[in-house]
Amino acid sequence: MLAPVVFAQQQPPGPPAPVWDIPAVERGRTQFKSSCGFCHANDATGNRAPDLIRSALLSHDVNGDMIAPVIKNGRPDKEMPAFPTLSDAAIADIVVFLHKQAYDALHSAGVPNDYPLAKLLTGNAADGKAYFNGAGGCSGCHSPTGDLAGVAKRYGPVGLQQRFLYPGFGARVTATVTLRDGQKMEGRVVHHDEFEIAIIGPDGWFRSWQVNDVKAIDVHDPMTAHRALMEKYTDKDIHNLFAYLVTLQ
Amino acid sequence: MKFLATMLLALPAFGADGLDPAKLLKPPTDTWPTYNGDYSGRRYSTLSQINQSNVGELTVAWVAQLRTVAIKSMPLIVNGIMYLTTPDNVFALDARSGRTIWHYVRESQGDHIGQRGVGMYKDWLYFETPDCHLISLNAKDGTVRWNIELADPKQGYFATMAPLVIKDHVLVGVSGDVTDVPGFIDSIDPESGKMQWRWYTTPKPGEPGSETWPKGTDAISHGGGMAWITGTYDPESNLTYWGIGNPQPVLNGDGRKGDNLYSCSIVALDPDTGKLKWYFQPSPHDTHDWDAVQTPVLFDDVQNGVRRKLLAQGSRNGYFVVLDRTTGEHILTKPFIATNWSEGIDAHGQPRPKKEKEPKPDGALVSPGSDGATNWMAPSYDPNTGLFFLSARRLWSVFYMTAEGKAEGWAGRDRNLWAQSVLEGIDTKTGGIRWTHEIGEGENVSGMLTTAGKLLFAQDNSENLMALDPATGKTLWHVSVGGRMETSPLTFELDGRQYLLTAIQNVIFAWALPRKN
Repeated sequence: MLAPVVFAQQQPPGPPAPVWDIPAVERGRTQFKSSCGFCHANDATGNRAPDLIRSALLSHDVNGDMIAPVIKNGRPDKEMPAFPTLSDAAIADIVVFLHKQAYDALHSAGVPNDYPLAKLLTGNAADGKAYFNGAGGCSGCHSPTGDLAGVAKRYGPVGLQQRFLYPGFGARVTATVTLRDGQKMEGRVVHHDEFEIAIIGPDGWFRSWQVNDVKAIDVHDPMTAHRALMEKYTDKDIHNLFAYLVTLQ
Repeated sequence: MKFLATMLLALPAFGADGLDPAKLLKPPTDTWPTYNGDYSGRRYSTLSQINQSNVGELTVAWVAQLRTVAIKSMPLIVNGIMYLTTPDNVFALDARSGRTIWHYVRESQGDHIGQRGVGMYKDWLYFETPDCHLISLNAKDGTVRWNIELADPKQGYFATMAPLVIKDHVLVGVSGDVTDVPGFIDSIDPESGKMQWRWYTTPKPGEPGSETWPKGTDAISHGGGMAWITGTYDPESNLTYWGIGNPQPVLNGDGRKGDNLYSCSIVALDPDTGKLKWYFQPSPHDTHDWDAVQTPVLFDDVQNGVRRKLLAQGSRNGYFVVLDRTTGEHILTKPFIATNWSEGIDAHGQPRPKKEKEPKPDGALVSPGSDGATNWMAPSYDPNTGLFFLSARRLWSVFYMTAEGKAEGWAGRDRNLWAQSVLEGIDTKTGGIRWTHEIGEGENVSGMLTTAGKLLFAQDNSENLMALDPATGKTLWHVSVGGRMETSPLTFELDGRQYLLTAIQNVIFAWALPRKN
């Protein structure tokens, strides 16, 4: 349902992320597992007893004000036993653990930049190299010892995968604009739509024209090959290519 | 005293300045009284003062600069007053000048992603808030009559949509997809604010439709399905049509095997009772956030020699569907843009998903991305050409399923690679694309309007407001307006002059032909 308009802005805006007391979260995880995990599952997503991550109780709880009494007193009407021997400190740890679990679920609409390499590395590097030099046509523009030397060091794993699929809007699109008198103007395209073309020439000056007022516009877009590949790739090709590019350390 | 009484009798206009719900059945040209302009969702106006012969003369009649965030709402125009919103804010403006009459503010917690406008009944407005309240305001001065909570914001609900007023019902839906909470449509009494009925978008275990969810798990009660775009209504059959959003968890369907009704479905409800008459599901077992909330547009046509009452939707998954709106019978399903996620259309007219294009831990390249092949941007239907106009896009994205263990919330996300946006004219008889007009890289977020002046108003991705020929898609007029139109254009007539209204970010431009006098 979320629909970010700007590609770069994948995470929904919101308050800054809370700072978690990680040792407390881990103590809470252990305590939860031994006291509660059998019924609520070790990750609190529910088993014989309900999923706590999705519970209204947890979403309304502030620092244990609602959860702690339930742990201490149980819910006899719902066959939940009381845990009178758990210390306040242990319960506080459980509460922090539960809130961390819920926070993570609520904020799972994103691929973290530290997404692990092992999850992405499912392809075959040799097949990827063959694709690079063969069917993919990548070697027509790129070289593992030239522009791509050490490319795997320059980006995180998920960044590398995204980057080779589509290096993005920063690409240097150039155009040759032929004016009515035959004069040719070249430069980096800063705007081009149905009505207007604007370039910055080698002299650094911005120039723009109404599209109808020029004879021809030839756009040179280095991303064309990347877009064409999207129509051809299988996911296996992508994972093989990724495995190959990861070797370019 | 007698003189005064006579005076009062001589002023019948006073006291009749609200919006009689019966007027919504035949919207006069001097108003835009509901989200889509009328109940049909066609966004077609019979006004033709501005037309192909003079559109090049359009000039700015007035400009209103609101000190607010981008306007994503559809203004209502009633009796020369315009009502529009941003999250937490309702503005009443003079439709003759754009000057503010009153401004209501109520700061709130909750997702402020957008606000799509108010509904109106007699003298009252209905406004949804980021913390999921429905507030009734006095249209005269913006004072609060009542304020109710529709759903618990602490559980992840929020609200953005423009309510739909049908007779004495205010129909509302809510939003929220970061938690796995159930969606619903409520009918609220316009006078008292009391709930008349609630229809949950997922069935209860044992009810019809529950067989499309796994048995013996909590999946069905956490299945999502938000109704976050205003529906349409056919007074003749007394049915209201709504698109329903994605199932939960969003990107991981392993815990909810089955088609997951009524998520990603078009539903027909009786507005008096909330009873489901029929449904059609464009995206069975969605795992890509492809809500089917896009406006179900109503029109009549002759198909195979028989006059039929139809409903069409350009759905977020890339497929255009036409249904018989009385029975729900499927008539056609056609892709309106290339996609790579479906193995084909089944006997029921539903595109079936390919398993290998579900989100994967190592990434799956899918077109479209979660933002969709189209989205909330209003489509339009032009009875003169029989074409359905859609803002569409070829969008590539990689879907990652990041969660381990039981999936909750989104459980993953896609990352966009590239998109190319187009405007399309779709032949409603065949589903064929009559014309395509490229409007640039990236994602378009503007809705459309057609008029009897044989004009289609839209915006490209370079901040150009445009008028196209609906029959061919050719550009007839454009102006660079320096910002994005994040809502849809509308038109109305006031003092004998036709206005085109466009909200560009936080600035409203009223366009008209030059005054002759």
